[in-house]
Amino acid sequence: MRIALIGNQNSGKTSLFNLLTGTNQKVGNWPGVTIERKSGILRTTTFEIIDLPGIYSLSPFSPEEEIVRRFLIEEKIDLIVNIVDSTAIERSLYLTTQLYDFNIPMVIALNMADLAFEQGIRINHDLLSKLLGVPIIPISALKRTGIKELIQLIKKGEFNTANYPVIYQGELLNIIKKVEDNILMRERRFLAIKLLENDISLPIRIELDASKERDLLMQNYESDIPQVVADQRYEFIEKVRDKTVSSRENPRTLTDKIDRIILNKYLAIPIFILIMFTVYFLSAGPVGQALAGLIEDLFAWISVHFATFLENVGASPWAVSLMIDGIVTGVGAVLSFVPQLIILFLLIAFLEASGYMSRIAFFFDRVFRKVGLSGKALIPFIIGSGCSVPAIMATRTINDENERRLTILLTPFIPCSAKLPIITLFAGYFFKDNYGLVSASLYFLAVFVILMTALVMKKLLYKGGYSPFIQELPTYKAPNLNYVFKTTWEKTSAFITRAGSIIFLASIFIWILLSFNWTFTYGVPIEESILSDIGRLFSWVFYPFLGVNSWAAAVSIIQGLIAKEQVITSLSIIAGLSGEAGNATTIFTSPIFSFFTPASAYAFMAFNLFSAPCFGAIGAMHKEFGSSRKMLKAVLIQTAVAFLIATIIYQGATLIGGLL
Amino acid sequence: MQKTKGITQTVSVNTLNNLKQGQKARVLQINGGDLATKQRLLDMGITRGIIITINKVAPLGDPICLELRGYRLLVRKDDVKNVEIEVIA
Repeated sequence: MRIALIGNQNSGKTSLFNLLTGTNQKVGNWPGVTIERKSGILRTTTFEIIDLPGIYSLSPFSPEEEIVRRFLIEEKIDLIVNIVDSTAIERSLYLTTQLYDFNIPMVIALNMADLAFEQGIRINHDLLSKLLGVPIIPISALKRTGIKELIQLIKKGEFNTANYPVIYQGELLNIIKKVEDNILMRERRFLAIKLLENDISLPIRIELDASKERDLLMQNYESDIPQVVADQRYEFIEKVRDKTVSSRENPRTLTDKIDRIILNKYLAIPIFILIMFTVYFLSAGPVGQALAGLIEDLFAWISVHFATFLENVGASPWAVSLMIDGIVTGVGAVLSFVPQLIILFLLIAFLEASGYMSRIAFFFDRVFRKVGLSGKALIPFIIGSGCSVPAIMATRTINDENERRLTILLTPFIPCSAKLPIITLFAGYFFKDNYGLVSASLYFLAVFVILMTALVMKKLLYKGGYSPFIQELPTYKAPNLNYVFKTTWEKTSAFITRAGSIIFLASIFIWILLSFNWTFTYGVPIEESILSDIGRLFSWVFYPFLGVNSWAAAVSIIQGLIAKEQVITSLSIIAGLSGEAGNATTIFTSPIFSFFTPASAYAFMAFNLFSAPCFGAIGAMHKEFGSSRKMLKAVLIQTAVAFLIATIIYQGATLIGGLL
Repeated sequence: MQKTKGITQTVSVNTLNNLKQGQKARVLQINGGDLATKQRLLDMGITRGIIITINKVAPLGDPICLELRGYRLLVRKDDVKNVEIEVIA
């Protein structure tokens, strides 16, 4: 048996899916798009259950809606579990009225029953079940109640569509019946309505001309068909509601109380800044730095003792060098940022789960609209401060193609967690007294660059029409801690795995390229190594904003493509091999990097911030753009912007410095 | 519904984007405009006869937060400029 789980966004669908399947899940993608496709096995059964994207309708307005209706038509589904939000029952049931048209057996899981009760909403479940013609189980995905009952009901497996109510009436119903008689598929009613609505994006072709019937209806109702259909669906829902639901006139919910402060005309933006500052303070700022320092000390300790140990057991000098200068230095440079990342991922997951993200989109939409983006772009941007890959994927919520492409292009401009190490290292050394100010200034620079690039690109490349901003304002939820910890752990372990695999291999590779010359003689001076020659080939490119031709800086920047934190790894390995490994002081006092001035340090940070992101993010861009050409174009634009900004900063600062 | 056929004087039609915070109105119909936007508004529950309150206005004046059918919906003023209404409170 195959079961589809369908419901609105924010209806608790994912929580329910987790409860129904336990750890028995398979995560992949829907064909052709990067929307996550999750399926699993229903607990204590062999039934497959598929978690469909959260939607409000099957119009289709978004790619998610397109997926769901294609899925329902093309795949053989035996049962729909429709999750209905008790606190927004009318809007939830609107989707239900459309699901009837597919003629698939259905069960309703009435979620947030407890929350609705608290808000003074009383629902007569038995009567509702009778009027809707489907079994209903009240559940609370948050408190985990009703889940057993739901599984038991599904296991009994006696479902049919015989008791489905008649939603439409009058002439509309007559015409629907007339059209659907010509269609031989299970979902004939859905298809008949879509034909009458003149929906041109149906996933299957139906050779049927319904234009006469359409005209007839339009005359009859003096209105277009989508309006009539929607009116009748909501009329049905209102009738059911009047018989089964009673609620207080004006429930003062907790969400209202919180929003009166959070969305207050004068407080909204200061509160936003305060929240973002707190996130920054804890992760990138002093707290995260202190924690990172502890890990750094740990690695310094390991480095020293491991080296002594290796020498004592009689390891050859090159082996010691490979282990210490190559691997421990390289991997350690990256792992020291793990505490900062855990904090950052935790806070972002917390914000995501709480419902605050939608509020940010709400009060910043006006600003972003001016540059061709919408408030929705802010969500990828904020997630992007963690990692560009999920952030680029989060642009899926933007319906307009041009707006989405623009957002994908701009998302990697946000300093992601892997760029943080670069900022920490450079700003920490060159701007010791103003570290906080300088590192914060890079975030502001990022915002500025995003807005300016958006403005230019909107005029040049992503010219497009207007797309609406219509979305639900979800109620605040106490974040599901399970979810928060789970996502934090997933992201952190992905980062650590990368340090253990890609960075590990890259560290060995760089060490080899640095320790040997072209005739593979070990122990040559670093200036004669293979890597130095490769770097010399490109170093002129970076001259305009570094002020010197530095092969070492060049190879480090290029390695940022593997992963941005690799820039730091490379700097430490090169400095380590040319002198002593370790912290910022040893890197920047080593002869090879002593050329850095505050101006070129700042320019270096800016370049790494804005240039082509890492391969992971480029891959995500490729997937989301759906074309190599568009992806390449975006990467080139990003790198050009980075070059421009870095050069302006360096040349400007040098000029001003010279004048003073 | 007021049909003003044959009368040259234009009847001023009030639309949802003109409402102030706290005002309440009944939706009469959605006139023209972008089809996808209209479909979305219908899907989200803005059908004929529904009563809508302006719950909040964003700090910068736009978008606005509507209250209808027991939930909150965010829309830009531009998106609802074709929603014809009559103010009731």
